[in-house]
Amino acid sequence: MALGRRSKRFTPPKLIMTSMVDIFTFLLIFLLVSFSDHVARFSIDGNISLPKSATKTDFKENIRLVVSKDTIWLGEEVIAQINDGTVKGLDMNNPQGSVLYQKLIKYRKYMDQTQVDDKDKYLILFLCDKRLSFRTINSIIKTAGMAGFPNFQFGVLKQ
Amino acid sequence: MLGSRHILKRSDEEDADIDVVPIMNVFLVTVLLLLISFSFFNLRVINTSVPVLGNSDAVMAQASDIKLTVIVELEDRGIRLSALSDEADPETLNRVGTYFSRENTSNYPLDKFSSYLQKLKTQYPKSDTAVIIPEGGIVYDTIIQTMDAARYSKDAQLFPHVVISGKVG
Repeated sequence: MALGRRSKRFTPPKLIMTSMVDIFTFLLIFLLVSFSDHVARFSIDGNISLPKSATKTDFKENIRLVVSKDTIWLGEEVIAQINDGTVKGLDMNNPQGSVLYQKLIKYRKYMDQTQVDDKDKYLILFLCDKRLSFRTINSIIKTAGMAGFPNFQFGVLKQ
Repeated sequence: MLGSRHILKRSDEEDADIDVVPIMNVFLVTVLLLLISFSFFNLRVINTSVPVLGNSDAVMAQASDIKLTVIVELEDRGIRLSALSDEADPETLNRVGTYFSRENTSNYPLDKFSSYLQKLKTQYPKSDTAVIIPEGGIVYDTIIQTMDAARYSKDAQLFPHVVISGKVG
């Protein structure tokens, strides 16, 4: 009885891609649904909780005024502290003496010199914590209005 | 001879493998692009302004041409609504005024408020401005919800231009 050697044919291992395709499909659908062509390229304090709204208007990134429960930022710079709802250094009888007013006046002069013909160049992107009272907000937006920035974009989260 | 037919049948019955490599290539590139543009929060805005001095010319107009400016006073106990216009007589403006009480609830009656604004908009379609005057203790979130209710109602535009102001006096 001759027993011949059985030649083992080498079969390459098969990679089961079904699971990976499943995961990629779900990931793709999720990312497509949450796709945004206007990405916010700045960070804001984690303590700020923005209100939600059904508005669909996209923001324009001009001057950014961020107000948390205890701090005010103009751009990346901290310009004032808030204590018990009162902005330190901001006296409504003399708002021109505040750091906020002076910084905004400087911005205004700079923008006037740039001669960019954009009707929205004096627009402020206003990001404010939803728990703050109007008393606090009013003093800030009034001061900004006096400095030549009466138009605002109130930042909200998409509902 | 019988053996070769058997082999032929086997090759016919072999499963056809779908080549998923090209589709994985596309998925990988697409997912990477979408991840780059992914944002954890979708920021939107409500355009508003603070009041500035301006000129207004008083011109008498027909009822449907009258442009009202709706005044929304956000009080602790409710919402007081009134209107201003250079084109309407005082009686018309008095008729427009009303009050929406909170009635011991934690939320403002924004649905009633919005329905009333819809009726106003139907009567005075050229009106497009609302001035919101909150009391000092009203929180920002409530102001935003009121602005939303004043600007749009189920995809119908109401008063898209919103001005926010403090109480004078």
